[in-house]
Amino acid sequence: MSVSVELLRDNVEPEDSALFSSFILSATFWLLLTTAVGLLLSFKFPYPDWATSSLLSFGRLRAIHTNGTFYGWASVALSGAALYVAARTSGIPIAGKRLAWFSLACYNLAAICGTVTLDLGLNYGDQEYREWVWWVKVIFLLGVFFSGLTVVKTVARRVEREIYISNWYTIGGFVFTLILSVVAIIPSYQIGLGQVAVQGFFMHNAVGMWFTFLALGVTYYALPKLLNRPIYSYALGVLGFWTNLVFYPIIGAHHFEFSPLPWWFQTLAIVFSVGMLVPVWSGTANFGLTMRGHGETIRRSYALPFIVVGVAYYFLGSTQGTVEAFRSLQSIWHFTNYTIGHSHATMYGFITFIAWGAIYALLPRATGKRPNLIASGLHFWFATIGVTFYVISLSVAGTLQGLTWAAGNPFIASVDAAAPYWAGRAVAGCLMFLAHLIFAYNVYLMTIAPRSETLHYETTPRTAVSA
Amino acid sequence: MNRNVWTIVLASTVVYGILAVLMGVVPGIVLSNTPPTSGSRPYTPQEQRGRDVYVSEGCAYCHTQNVRPLKQDLVFGRPSIGGDYTYDTPELLSDHRNGPDLTNIGNRQPSETWQYIHLWNPRAVVQDSIMPRYTWLFTVKPKADPNDIAVPIPPAFGPSHGTIVATREAQDLVAYLKSLKQVPLKRGAVK
Repeated sequence: MSVSVELLRDNVEPEDSALFSSFILSATFWLLLTTAVGLLLSFKFPYPDWATSSLLSFGRLRAIHTNGTFYGWASVALSGAALYVAARTSGIPIAGKRLAWFSLACYNLAAICGTVTLDLGLNYGDQEYREWVWWVKVIFLLGVFFSGLTVVKTVARRVEREIYISNWYTIGGFVFTLILSVVAIIPSYQIGLGQVAVQGFFMHNAVGMWFTFLALGVTYYALPKLLNRPIYSYALGVLGFWTNLVFYPIIGAHHFEFSPLPWWFQTLAIVFSVGMLVPVWSGTANFGLTMRGHGETIRRSYALPFIVVGVAYYFLGSTQGTVEAFRSLQSIWHFTNYTIGHSHATMYGFITFIAWGAIYALLPRATGKRPNLIASGLHFWFATIGVTFYVISLSVAGTLQGLTWAAGNPFIASVDAAAPYWAGRAVAGCLMFLAHLIFAYNVYLMTIAPRSETLHYETTPRTAVSA
Repeated sequence: MNRNVWTIVLASTVVYGILAVLMGVVPGIVLSNTPPTSGSRPYTPQEQRGRDVYVSEGCAYCHTQNVRPLKQDLVFGRPSIGGDYTYDTPELLSDHRNGPDLTNIGNRQPSETWQYIHLWNPRAVVQDSIMPRYTWLFTVKPKADPNDIAVPIPPAFGPSHGTIVATREAQDLVAYLKSLKQVPLKRGAVK
């Protein structure tokens, strides 16, 4: 069987295709840079005397890794996908592309300035995910605003009658993030314990009201598109939107359990952490039921396996978050590396895999250029095995740390107990980084690689791709 | 129903705006007015500069300043209360304890010399430590001046020749660490 690449291509304006490609190329650059930093950091645990200059020190690079993966990679990749999805579901080209280009420039400028300032030791305080100094945050916010505005303008001019559910999620994500950032950036009411309360609210919402909404929105488009069937339930999608919107903002204080924040405030966060099972399980069920009976299609696709793993980690990571919030378990796991395992299960297993699935699903349709199938398979397996090994290593390390403390041993015993698993984590990190290099090669093939108009893929039925 | 996209924008803004005020802004305002723990004091200018070094170098990514009301935390001091943080902006409670809690380190490790050696190379005093070295907070001089703080590094961990001298940043940081002392609570001080 021979498949022409042109058969694959959606009817996309070249300029839309160039815009989407540029978002993904930028995002891929930040993924490579900031996960290289992450890999370096993982080696500093077994080898603390390695790369010890101030510019390469753990305390400065850690924030570069987290902020860079959040705001350089995931935000830019998913914003680009959201723009493309808005245009496809509205039946028109992206409206007001100049603003979207400006948005991309802001995202990149913010990531550059943020990375440089953090490495020079300039930060807002060691408060996770908002370490960038205020003016860098403002540049990033302009990026969010103009991407969001472009999505809204595109949807407003749609020729389709209904607003597809994807756009609810992505527009919501842009709106929430703008409000959240304004709340977080104003300094005057954040003093001492007050800032702790705002930090709990911020760090949780930055993940759940931004990345989760963008990733779910993109999945609601990419999954039915890849399977060539409608989403199982539109109503479940709407339920997920509202329950996520109402429950999620209340649970931030579960990052500060046993802190001096009011006890009832922490309890409220724990209760609503259980409530989060409603959007998580209903969303997972919706995706799962959409995929049901399509195992063969999934197996033959290079994009769908990423979405399957993404949905699986959405379910596992989010359910884990609920369980972690219980005081009995939090008393052991809080402050330990278990938390880092959890954040990689969610930001990597869920968010990053969905971003990859969306890129493999949509970018070839936008550009008419395909990735290398063997490379995408290697990317998938290295990343899946890598992140799973990563999460398991740090979950064990964290549990041992917590149990060592509870047993009343000297502190250094917790370092010794975790040490072998830190080495395991560094190995997992190597696999993940290798996957990113392969992904970058595929992004090259899907975007700037020269196109051969006569290119045909000779495929046997067994390896025929449906993506 | 042909929904208007601005309805989604408006509904999202209103619902999330209300939640952001209730769960972020109001707790922020209320708790920012927590009175300081009786007997605590603001940082001196030098301690504050040292605190800035602590923030700048990301010490809070491995060190908490948050003693929980749990048995395993009592080794670090008494449980922290809200008033302990009134002078602490940006807050440094932290989520990660790869190294010990530092809430009360001024009492638990009062030795300046230990702190300097430990910052130069943590493994000179704690064999299994994985803490980074902060060598850029020191200079190596052929011979220390009378006003310099010379750090007595064990020979195995020092340079082959010359004397290690603490920079102003190191002195500020150590002044800050020494200032981290919990104020004892008076009976009835906590509601």
